[in-house]
Amino acid sequence: MDLSPFETDNSVSCRLASEIPDVCRTEDCCLGIDEAGRGPVLGPMVYGICFCPVSKKQELKDSKVADSKTLTEAERENLFQKLDEARSYVGWALQVLSPNTISTSMLQRTKYNLNALSHDTAIGLVQYALDSGVQLKEVFVDTVGPAEKYEDKLSKLFPGIDVTVRPKADSLFPIVSAASICAKVARDRIVKGWNFAEDLGDVDTDYGSGYPNDPKTKAWLLKYLDPVFGYPQFVRFSWSTAQTLMDSKGVTVHWDDEDEDGEKAAQRQNNKSMLAYFSASAGGNDQNPTHQTHRFFTERRLKSLDTL
Amino acid sequence: MATKKKRTQNVQNNNWVVIAADSSIDSQKHDSEPAFVRLRNPSTDATSLYMLSSGDVQLFEVKAFEEDFHSWFVGQTVQRDGRLLFVTPMDPLYLIMPYLIKSGKEGKFQPVDQVVVDEEFPACSRLLRCTRSLASLHHIAEEKEVGKQRFHQYSHEKTMNWLKKKVERTVGLLKGRNISVGERVKSTTYIRVKSESDYHDEDYLRYAHGLISEYLSEDLSKALLKHLQLPELTSPKETEPPSKKRKLSDKPVEAEEDYTKFNSADFARKPPKKMTAAQKSLAKADKTGMKTMFSFFSPKAKAEKK
Repeated sequence: MDLSPFETDNSVSCRLASEIPDVCRTEDCCLGIDEAGRGPVLGPMVYGICFCPVSKKQELKDSKVADSKTLTEAERENLFQKLDEARSYVGWALQVLSPNTISTSMLQRTKYNLNALSHDTAIGLVQYALDSGVQLKEVFVDTVGPAEKYEDKLSKLFPGIDVTVRPKADSLFPIVSAASICAKVARDRIVKGWNFAEDLGDVDTDYGSGYPNDPKTKAWLLKYLDPVFGYPQFVRFSWSTAQTLMDSKGVTVHWDDEDEDGEKAAQRQNNKSMLAYFSASAGGNDQNPTHQTHRFFTERRLKSLDTL
Repeated sequence: MATKKKRTQNVQNNNWVVIAADSSIDSQKHDSEPAFVRLRNPSTDATSLYMLSSGDVQLFEVKAFEEDFHSWFVGQTVQRDGRLLFVTPMDPLYLIMPYLIKSGKEGKFQPVDQVVVDEEFPACSRLLRCTRSLASLHHIAEEKEVGKQRFHQYSHEKTMNWLKKKVERTVGLLKGRNISVGERVKSTTYIRVKSESDYHDEDYLRYAHGLISEYLSEDLSKALLKHLQLPELTSPKETEPPSKKRKLSDKPVEAEEDYTKFNSADFARKPPKKMTAAQKSLAKADKTGMKTMFSFFSPKAKAEKK
């Protein structure tokens, strides 16, 4: 697995893929989709697909691929090796969603949540397989959100393909297990060898599992919090773990799409209190209430100053 | 996520981001440094900030671009004050004028250095050192020379003519820069097929008058409006209709619509509930593809059956 395309710029989303086996272009194929790294506050989320001819399903089952969560890292590497050796009939493709992609999607003005991002990534990978000429007949997906809705959505998008969405599909269908192994292996390797784009000197790479409840991860987050910038791009800013820490330990930053309420906001927006309209010009504090700055200046947000 | 952030007061800092001409800070020729000075604003009569270049050769006004939610990255530091200051040349005559008008009421010719004095703003006497000041006083005042001393008296007529020229020059600039002067608001991204010819000259004149008035007292601004032969705009208050409609007939008034339907039992209108901060932030979140709360409570078997 060559991760270099992602590692050259780990701030964006990147697709990695194996060669398409020739049999996949001619025979009916099945395809499994799974993800790795949905929960951690650190590192990318990796989406994987794995496909092989329907006729080779048994061979895949015999290779004892299983849900990646039940395997140790060494076992996963081993199984990935096996999948690689079976490249004459097994193909895979990965979409690596960098933590930066996740942060910017979830925190942009029009919010784009992780489920929507997941669905779109899965759809993109299936489309990639179709575009590459893989003869898809069956698609198995581990669910994200309500399984029925997701299944409906995918069936409509890919008419003629039999879509099965199930919770825990990675332990039910070998092809999904294979996809989950690809995804997990890629994520592990990326997290282990993360190239920090930021100048942090010698980075302490002992950040534990990356899950928010891991004490090691928490300690690491506390250590690498910059009061102004927050975190390196390795961290998902949209995770509440990161946000809470930045809110309490970092400098307060205001964005203009945050709405505030209360008296202070009203004052800032120059809203008059309702009462002001009734106390008929009882002498404001302004020195010259009749003076209105010309719109040439107000339209350009230009003000005179009385002090620096 | 929904925590309210507190706004702390701006901390005093000694850095500003300024746009200024090189000439304004050129201190090679003169012994003194350029300096910010506080002077009386001719339009508001309050304090405003100005800058005098080194040797008080030239006067500049200071304007700040200020909008919410802006900060600067300056080199390796962050400056929370996102203001952008503009230091632009200004005719010192505008600031000298109020003093001349005041003394002009006495009807005497006086030396200007005795006229331009202000206890509140002692820096105002430095205005007379600007290269343009003494040379252009004749635009707004009558001059007399006795011996080697010069005496001045404010002239309303001269001032009006001078200001009219200023307005006309401003009109020229407004036209040249394609500045939208119409009453209607125009988006800068909106491209008109027709050129701006549908703006009347009066629009330009009025706009330029408004701009020049930023540097004049209210009385002077009104006088200038008259001098330009522009009618005063009636304020909307006067054109408003009387607040109560008069009855047109003595017949009993009948409702035009039947409002009794709102009294029926099946019409239950609840006032919109105020949402808590958490509900508000949830309402804003993108919930596509998420499970509903209910799905967690429905029997598991249902999902497996399919």
